Amino acid sequence: MKKYLTATALAVCFASAAQAEGQLNLYAWSESISPTLIEKFSKANDVKVNVDGYTSNEDLLTKLQAGSSGYDIAIPSQHFLRVMIDEGLLENYGANKLKAYENIDARWRNQWWDESQEYSIPIAYGTAGFVVNTERYKGPTDSFKHFFEPGSELSGKIAMLSYPDEVIGAAQLYLGVPFCSEDQAEMKKVLDLLMAQKPAVAAYSSDNIASRLASGEVSAHFWWDGEELKARTGGSPFALAMTKEGLVGWLDSMVIPKGAPNSDNAIKFIEFMSEPENATEQMNFYAHSSPMKLVAEKVVYTKEKAPELYPEVPVAFSRTCSPAAQDLVNRVWTQLLQ
Amino acid sequence: MTMDTLHLPFATKRASGARFWRNLSFWGLLPSWLLMGFALILPIAIIAAVSVATRGAHGGFTWDFNLAGYSQILFNEGWTGELEFTPQYLMIIARTFLLAGATTLICLLFAVPVAYFISRQPPSQKAILVYLVTLPFWVSMILRVYAWMIILGKEGTLPRLLENLGFPPGMSFMFNDGATLTAMVYTYMPLMVLPVFASIEKLDGTLIEASHDLYGDRWVTLRRVILPLTAPGILAGAILVFVPSLGAVLEPTLMGGGKQMMMGSLIQLQFGGGRNWPFGAAIAMTLMAVVLIFLIFTALRSARKETAK
Repeated sequence: MKKYLTATALAVCFASAAQAEGQLNLYAWSESISPTLIEKFSKANDVKVNVDGYTSNEDLLTKLQAGSSGYDIAIPSQHFLRVMIDEGLLENYGANKLKAYENIDARWRNQWWDESQEYSIPIAYGTAGFVVNTERYKGPTDSFKHFFEPGSELSGKIAMLSYPDEVIGAAQLYLGVPFCSEDQAEMKKVLDLLMAQKPAVAAYSSDNIASRLASGEVSAHFWWDGEELKARTGGSPFALAMTKEGLVGWLDSMVIPKGAPNSDNAIKFIEFMSEPENATEQMNFYAHSSPMKLVAEKVVYTKEKAPELYPEVPVAFSRTCSPAAQDLVNRVWTQLLQ
Repeated sequence: MTMDTLHLPFATKRASGARFWRNLSFWGLLPSWLLMGFALILPIAIIAAVSVATRGAHGGFTWDFNLAGYSQILFNEGWTGELEFTPQYLMIIARTFLLAGATTLICLLFAVPVAYFISRQPPSQKAILVYLVTLPFWVSMILRVYAWMIILGKEGTLPRLLENLGFPPGMSFMFNDGATLTAMVYTYMPLMVLPVFASIEKLDGTLIEASHDLYGDRWVTLRRVILPLTAPGILAGAILVFVPSLGAVLEPTLMGGGKQMMMGSLIQLQFGGGRNWPFGAAIAMTLMAVVLIFLIFTALRSARKETAK
C-alpha cells in the first residue's frame, strides 16, 4: 500500500526552484500574454515572472476588493477599470509620464475610463458578438435576431457566456435599450427576450468555447473576436457575425493594484510591453487589436487576413453601470437561470 | 543516588504528573487548535460578519449592521417596483438539495456492492483495490470533469461507440441533469466506498453464516444482518457525499450547461457579477445552518440508537 502511495506522490509532485533577482506577479486574462515576451522580459531584467489567469472581469474585481492579492499587474476592461479607480483599488503610477503613454495610439488616450491616463496603459481591444460554425450553420448572420430569436436551424445549438456582462449588452443592442438602463420596463424586455431564447440554448458557459463550437456541440456561441480569429487561422470553420445592431466593445488596460509588492518591475513590464516591437509581437500572439503604435510591416492580422478585427458595423463599448442598473442586470440574470 | 533523583518528580507527587500530562496534551493539541481556529472558525466568523454587513456600491461591503442579505432570500423588489415574496431562491435551494440527495442515493447503490466485493478479496488484492478507488483523488477535480465532457460530448467516446454499434451518429449526452448527475456520482463515489468498505470489512462473517443457519435467505440476511451492522459506515459515507454535493459548482456548470442555478453558483454570482457580498454570505450561512441542523439531527438519532441497544 505504502509503495503505491509513495510512487503516486512522487509521480504527481515536481519541484521548481529557479531563483531570480526580482519578482513580478501578473494577473491577466488566461493565455493572453505572449510567453515569448514574458521570457524575453524575464531574461533581460533578471525577474521571475509568475502568471495567474482569470476568465472574467468580475473575478478580477472581487479578488482586488478582497484585498492583498499580491499581484503587481492586472488587466481589467474599461468599465471595470473605472470602478477600480473610483473604489481606490489601483495605484496611481503616473502612466501619462511614461514612455508607454507616447506609444498609445492617439484615439485611445485619455478616454472616460481614465481621463487623465494616470492609472492605466491599454494593451488590447476588441469586440464580443456571436460566432458561428460555418460548416454547421449556413443561415444569415447579419443581425442579432438570428441569435436571440433563432429559427429551427439554431434551436438547441446556441451557447451563451456564463455571466451577464457582455451578453446583456448584446441583447440591449438588439432591443435598442441603452447600456446600463435603470428603467425596469426596458430591462424586463431584455429578460423576456432571453427567456424566450432559453429553450434554444444548450449551455451558459464561458469555458472550453473553441472545442464546443468546433465539435458541433453547438453551432453558435457568444464569443470574442480575437479568440474566433485565432481558432479560424488554426483551421476551424468559424465566422464572427457582423451584426447590423453593432458589436459590444471592450478595451483592456494594464494597471497596478494598490499595495503591489513589486511596482518597480510592474512599470518596467508596462514600458516593455508598450514598445512598438513588443506590442506588435503581443498582438500577433493574442490576435486582438492593439491600441499601441505598431511596427506595421510585422503585423500578422491585417485587414485582409483578419476582417473580424476591423468591423464595419458600429462598436458600442460597455459602460460602467450605476449600482441600480447593475442590480437590474443581476436580477435579469438570476431570473433567467433561477 | 541516581535512582532517587530520577524518581522524584514522578513518584513523590502524583498531582504534578497529572499536570505534566495535561500540559503535554495542551501543547500537543495546540497546532490542531490553531489550524482549526485560523483555517475553519475564523473564515466562518468572517462570512457570518459579512452576511450582516451593508453592501458596497460596486461589490465589497461596509461594517454597518444590516439584515438585508437575509431578507433578500425571501423578499425582493419585483418588476413593478414593490417588495414582494420571491420564491426563486427557495427553488434554487430546493433544487440543490434534490441533486445532492440523488447523488447520495446513487452513490450508495453502487458503493455497497463494490465495498462488499472488495472486502471479500484476499488481503493483497484488497490493498490494490482500495488504492484504485482512491486513485482519482490524485487528479485535479476539474480535469476529471473535463474527462467526462470528452466521454459524453459530441464526437466523444460514448457517442462514437454507440455509432459503431449502429445507433444514429451525432448523439450528445451533455448539458442535462443526467450529465450533471453522472459527473457528481463519479466525483463523490470514493467518499462513499471507503467508509462503507471500512464497516463492511469489520463485519463478522460468522454472523452471516449464522443467519443462513437460521433459515434466513439472502434478502433477509442483507436486510436484518448486513445493513444494520454496516449502518454507521453508510451514514458516514452519506454525509461525506451529501454535504459537499450541496456546494457543487463545477458539475452543474460544465456538465449541466449552467442553465439552472445551484446554491454554489448563486453564491458565486453574488460575489462576482451580482456585487452583493452580504447576500452571498447570507446564502452561504443559510446553507451551513441547514447542513448543521441535518448533521445534529442524524447524530442525535444514531446516539439514541446506541443507547437503545
